Amino acid sequence: MLLTQPSKTEEGVTAAITAVTPPPRTPRRPGARRLVGLAWILPAVVVLAVFVYLPLVQNLGFSTLEWDIYSGSQEFIGLDNYEKLVGDPIFWSSLWNNVLYAVISLAFQVFGAIVLAAVIEGIRNDRWRRGLRAIYFIPSAISLTVAGLLFYFIYEPNLGMLNYVLDAIGLDAWAQPWLGQESTAMVSIIAMSQWQGFGYSTLLFAVAIQRIPSELYEAASIDGIGSVRRFFTITLPLVREMTGLMIIVTISGAFQVFNEVMVMTSGGPNNSTQVLGTWLYRNGFVRNDFGYAAAIATVIFVVTLAIALVQLWINRRRRVEW
Amino acid sequence: MHAQRFTALTALVAASALVLTGCAGGDAAPAADVTAEPEYSGTLSILTKFAGEPLGPYFETLAAEYEELHPEVTVELIQETDQSVKDKTKTLTASGALPDIYFTWAGNWAQNFIDGGLAADLTDVIEPGTEWGDTFGEASLSAFQVDGKYFGIPLYNNGKFMGYNTAIFDEVGIEVPTTFEELIESCAPIRAAGYEPIAFGNKDGWPALHYLQQLFAYNVPSDVLQDDFSPATATLDDPGYLESLEQFKTLVDECTDTGTGTNGVLYTTAQEALAGGRAAMYYQEILEFDTVTAEGNTLTPDNFGIFALPVPDGAAGEPGAIEGSPEGYLINAKSPQAALAVDFMKFATTLENATVLSSPPYGQPSTVVGAVTPETSSVAVFEGITKVNEASELVIWLDTVTVPEVADAWLAGGEALISGGSTPEQVLESVRNASDAAE
Repeated sequence: MLLTQPSKTEEGVTAAITAVTPPPRTPRRPGARRLVGLAWILPAVVVLAVFVYLPLVQNLGFSTLEWDIYSGSQEFIGLDNYEKLVGDPIFWSSLWNNVLYAVISLAFQVFGAIVLAAVIEGIRNDRWRRGLRAIYFIPSAISLTVAGLLFYFIYEPNLGMLNYVLDAIGLDAWAQPWLGQESTAMVSIIAMSQWQGFGYSTLLFAVAIQRIPSELYEAASIDGIGSVRRFFTITLPLVREMTGLMIIVTISGAFQVFNEVMVMTSGGPNNSTQVLGTWLYRNGFVRNDFGYAAAIATVIFVVTLAIALVQLWINRRRRVEW
Repeated sequence: MHAQRFTALTALVAASALVLTGCAGGDAAPAADVTAEPEYSGTLSILTKFAGEPLGPYFETLAAEYEELHPEVTVELIQETDQSVKDKTKTLTASGALPDIYFTWAGNWAQNFIDGGLAADLTDVIEPGTEWGDTFGEASLSAFQVDGKYFGIPLYNNGKFMGYNTAIFDEVGIEVPTTFEELIESCAPIRAAGYEPIAFGNKDGWPALHYLQQLFAYNVPSDVLQDDFSPATATLDDPGYLESLEQFKTLVDECTDTGTGTNGVLYTTAQEALAGGRAAMYYQEILEFDTVTAEGNTLTPDNFGIFALPVPDGAAGEPGAIEGSPEGYLINAKSPQAALAVDFMKFATTLENATVLSSPPYGQPSTVVGAVTPETSSVAVFEGITKVNEASELVIWLDTVTVPEVADAWLAGGEALISGGSTPEQVLESVRNASDAAE
């Protein structure tokens, strides 16, 4: 009886469930479901198409033109702008500067940051650990333009802090017009950039290290494995995914450098600090050669696209799970 | 081919075709009628290079007064700095969004807009002999004259002079140098007295071109120099160029404290060195005279003097030339508000407003006749503008008089010369190559 006749309470619950349960929907036809799905993604597709893909296609078109912005005349010149790229020594020196930027950034912002993150995360005192993380991260909270301006004044040959400090500690022979001469300008800009970006990558690696199960470190300690070996055998392999991502992000970022160079040297002296971004800008906005600027933009796009594809490929193949 | 890929490819090709077709289209706006009676309604957009202090309030006040006179008119100001106005103007030009009134330099800068049909022909309203035209000095109007037509409204005149601290000169016991060689010789005693002889900052590249252009005017015969500005006629083989480059390098090495590091110093940092009494001299535009002697600075109007960059001994060019030119405004040839724009500029160049512009704190010597007087302007501004008016020839800035590719080569060359990265011969060779390529 109990099984076949629900109690009053059960009846109440059943009634309540009946009252709140909506009537079963008629299943949508697959075509209608697809339309609803498309409607949901349509705004994002439109925004992407208008603000990302259309400009990309437009840029490809512009790179095949000789474009006079004043008269509005645009003449199709095929691949002439790309031919000009090949013979342009400043394009190559700009590309080299981007590569130099990438190499130094990899050394500091990836490999240096892993080491620093491991050191910080190895500190037992929680207050110290948090404090150091914050100290290293603070420069990343400063806008790159502001940091560039700040370092411009630090590097200033007469009034700058760097030469002043060198002078104060008896290293006045090392004082340089850091941004004023071809031999030191690019490295000085890259140094500023490392200062600004180092803390951010350190923080990301610290988060990745925190995700490593502590049992692994404890087991290694019990086995008498030292901290250096623990770093190479546990930390490094288990932050591999983050390392891969950071390598890609760092290289990709190095090919999109613009702000710091514009603020600190505008590509000078004598074009020694031109990078692809600033050389693009100079050709477009100073030399009025927008077609050639578009060709440089295409090169930047191809390089960063290639890096992004490598990133996708690596992420698919090297997933770390535990 | 897979259907989705085919669709994507078709879309890409269609988009490209659309873009390229769109590119080929022309903008066939009717020519602006600047002689029409203005309709006092709507929005008037103006691009200035007066952003920041102390110049910013000048156009703001003008706009407010004009709006008060014509309540149906709204004036929309886009105020940029000397550096940023270049990018802003080109961006607006490329996107077909030039304002009704926009700033221009004389020379190739203005020529581009005139050739591109973007500057309204103002001949009927501003040429000498018209009511408005007669309020300006004729030479300043001719700075924007092309093929007998007048396109620009010159707002103020400008010229480059060596500004100096008379107190430091007195303390050191030196006179104003009369030759370039004397100028170089004066640097050692000034430095011995504890001052930087000539403050110089070339972070932006163009300050070096100001020295070079003045030296070119002195060392290169005028007709040769004018031919060399245009890649079509340029040979750039006059020995005066090499002499000028060598003289400039001597000045940097002998007279600045920053020497080969001058490219790392801001123009304004150097300006402050003179204003703060730390430097004896600083090569500057008339527009800066009231800034270096502004209230609060160590340098006061009483101990501020100016002289033209001294002529080198045996120079083969024009010794009476002064580098400088008027700066002004163009009216967008495609503006539907062209008549109103002309009316606004007439308002901006009334004697009353021109006098305000020429007086401290603005200190921009107006091109309007009678606006710059010893009573209304500072002593230095009046002296500077008098020298400009008396100059045997005005030479336009090197970075605006020639085509951008050549100007850019001079810019990089000036920096390389300062840092020691290139010899004068190498600099000249790179400029010749740029000029040949631009031809």
